[in-house]
Amino acid sequence: MAIKLDKYVIDRLGLAEIIAVAKKKTVPQHKQSFWYYWGGISLFCFLVQIVTGVLLLLYYRPGPEAYESVRQITYEMHFGWLVRSVHNWSADLFLLSVFVHMFSVFFMKAYRAPREFGWWSGMALLVLGLVFGFSGYLLPMDDLAYFATKVGLEIPNSIPVVGPSIANLIRGGIEVGQFTVQRFFALHAVILPLIFLPLLGLHLWLVQKHGMAVPVSEDEKPVAARKTIPFFPNFIAKDLAMWLITMNVIALLAAVFPWQLGEPADSLKPAPVGIHPEWYFMSQFQTLKIMGRLFPGYAGEAIGMTLFTVGLLLWFLIPFYDIKGKGALRARNATYFGLMVVAILIGTTMWGYLAKN
Amino acid sequence: MNYPVWEVPVIGGAWVIGIVSIFHVLIAWFAVGGGIYLPVAEAKLYREGKEEWLPVLMKHSRFFLVLTSVLGATSGVGIWFAIGLVQPEATSTLIHNFVFGWAIEWVFFIIELSAAAVYYYTWNRIPRKLHLKVGYLYAVASFLTLVIINGILSFMLTPGQTWLHAAGSGHEATWFWWAFFNPTYFPSLVMRLLACLSLAGIYALVTYSRVEDEALARTKVAMVRWSARWMLPMFVLLPLVLVWFLAMVPAENRGLLQLGMTTIGSGAFTQVTRVAMLTIITSMTIVGVVYFFVYRSPRDFSMSHAVAVLGLAAVATASTEYARETLRKPYVIGAHMYSNGVRKTQVAGYNADGYLTHSTWKPPVNDELVVGKAMFRGQCMSCHTESGYRSMRRLLQARDQKGIDRLLDSLHHPTSDSMYVKYMPPLVGKPDEIAALGRFLSTLSAAPPAPALTSQPKQQARLR
Repeated sequence: MAIKLDKYVIDRLGLAEIIAVAKKKTVPQHKQSFWYYWGGISLFCFLVQIVTGVLLLLYYRPGPEAYESVRQITYEMHFGWLVRSVHNWSADLFLLSVFVHMFSVFFMKAYRAPREFGWWSGMALLVLGLVFGFSGYLLPMDDLAYFATKVGLEIPNSIPVVGPSIANLIRGGIEVGQFTVQRFFALHAVILPLIFLPLLGLHLWLVQKHGMAVPVSEDEKPVAARKTIPFFPNFIAKDLAMWLITMNVIALLAAVFPWQLGEPADSLKPAPVGIHPEWYFMSQFQTLKIMGRLFPGYAGEAIGMTLFTVGLLLWFLIPFYDIKGKGALRARNATYFGLMVVAILIGTTMWGYLAKN
Repeated sequence: MNYPVWEVPVIGGAWVIGIVSIFHVLIAWFAVGGGIYLPVAEAKLYREGKEEWLPVLMKHSRFFLVLTSVLGATSGVGIWFAIGLVQPEATSTLIHNFVFGWAIEWVFFIIELSAAAVYYYTWNRIPRKLHLKVGYLYAVASFLTLVIINGILSFMLTPGQTWLHAAGSGHEATWFWWAFFNPTYFPSLVMRLLACLSLAGIYALVTYSRVEDEALARTKVAMVRWSARWMLPMFVLLPLVLVWFLAMVPAENRGLLQLGMTTIGSGAFTQVTRVAMLTIITSMTIVGVVYFFVYRSPRDFSMSHAVAVLGLAAVATASTEYARETLRKPYVIGAHMYSNGVRKTQVAGYNADGYLTHSTWKPPVNDELVVGKAMFRGQCMSCHTESGYRSMRRLLQARDQKGIDRLLDSLHHPTSDSMYVKYMPPLVGKPDEIAALGRFLSTLSAAPPAPALTSQPKQQARLR
């Protein structure tokens, strides 16, 4: 029955050719194959966010009623809390899996030719993901969202000369308020998806075009000694299994730790004690705090911002200075650089949370 | 309060029972289901001449023996320790009613454990027919342990009107069979049996996934597929039996499942819905995984797949057990004993004479905070902790003394439309005891102290 149904669908949609190509395509199989699944996990989390985001759109009202509409979704509507919790948890898992994916790509040196554009498009997707997170965080307009956004917007505000104008443009005024919510909503639900989706399409096409990179240790083996598995159905089946596991992890988190809503935002109230940004901005936040302590005044912020910019540029441009065949020392240095970035990110994030407590 | 209170910080006593029980159930159900699976597979081996199955089945029976007889048996004893310490009153009631039931169960345990050992150690040493008989003996004995324990567990949810009429008369044990074959007995038994058989199929996959010998590749495929087919009837029947079970559960208990549909409001007891939802999602995932990754791709089925399926089964089992236990709220023994050990028939007496008056473990000093803490330990701590699971600090939020007193009053005089009446026992005791509890709770609340409410004469008057 299932086989007949398969054939029915394949014949009508003309999938036979695509399947034939997919069957010819292979995926390397080695000790580090586990890391190949993280791109797929990110994609799954993003798809979950689209579906739940559309459902939230049905009831969310940006502007002055933003808080009330999220309150209704969370505490009054049938399974509204579930949709919102799944949306938020999948957003967190999306960013986590993108980070893991990025570092696995980095350490496998998958940014080297011919995969440079895959690296750059992936980096752009990560930045967009972070902006998704930042813009979405304000939308419930509770006290935590309000103050976290206020603190977050201090970063563009601190850019010399043009900073205040940029911050005002983002806020829609000199204070975070209903116009900010309106702008962030437009950014979150319209502008970012419009940029993200074609870029994602390009990224996926590049992955298909160039295939999976292998770690250096595997690359050194003779071709005949390398193991592969067919992309279809074997790799796809494993990828889907990871999606199923991710779905269950999201369900577990949403059920056990549903996303609550704080008090309505009140600009007259003092900021909650220990206010801090979400975990994916904690490292930058803590670094700025450390710099502020080491170099009081404007110098601290300027040094912190310069460090981020230089670090980000070095990271982004790594395909230009770690090139295959240009010497083992250079390749090793790039790996050390990656390890240092991981250590700084994890270390400052943990420091941030420990300092908060 | 006839027994001392065991104070477990952070996770609370209920979770001690929960953790030990969930671990035990995962193994005990395998003991029952696997006990049926093994001789059925062995019979198939003999009937169809599948000699290549033999080494794999022998390996599986070793895994089965070690897991069930070591971890299953020790965790079972662990449950006795845990329930005896956390819910002594309820445990005492169960022992008084079912002592002979448990005695019979232990007889079956002895047969079960002996048969399991004989079964494993006599592969290829005794005639095949006899070996198979030992396997069936194990299957029958382990199934009978389920038959017994199911009667006791389902009794706790639905003791049945006949037993409830006799409750408190001192002759409850006379109504043993009525209590045993209570309204949810049969749906529970069928449901548990199906779950046991499903788990047996999943555990078998763990053994089969470890068959790496190329010479046994075809055997692995055949056995993995057979296990998937083994699970199919359970997957079809389980949802139907769940509907049957829920139909037999009293409407007010069933209603608890709906509390979390619309809200996640703190203190609204919404977790049952959320956890029940997890059961559905993980169970559906297991069905999908078993079809696509076990039945359709048996060759690629690896140890990591098997562990993932087992992990999902563990989450499904844990969430089902949590939901089932929570469905009894506000009782620990349906319509008879509240979850804090107070019997329904004792409420009026405790309100008239005082809760602590009837307690063997009275506080030694008549200090309001000490009395309040004793009330908390006796009536709240079976479900709440001060600052961990179901934390009072979190639930009270920033309630001031007035707010806390109002809350306690609504628990002491519950009205039929109160949401608390659905899942919380009524608060019992004399007004001064309840006031003392309020004072103790105010020390946990984040509200700033209100000077007008702490006037000394008022409190002393309350204590008198």
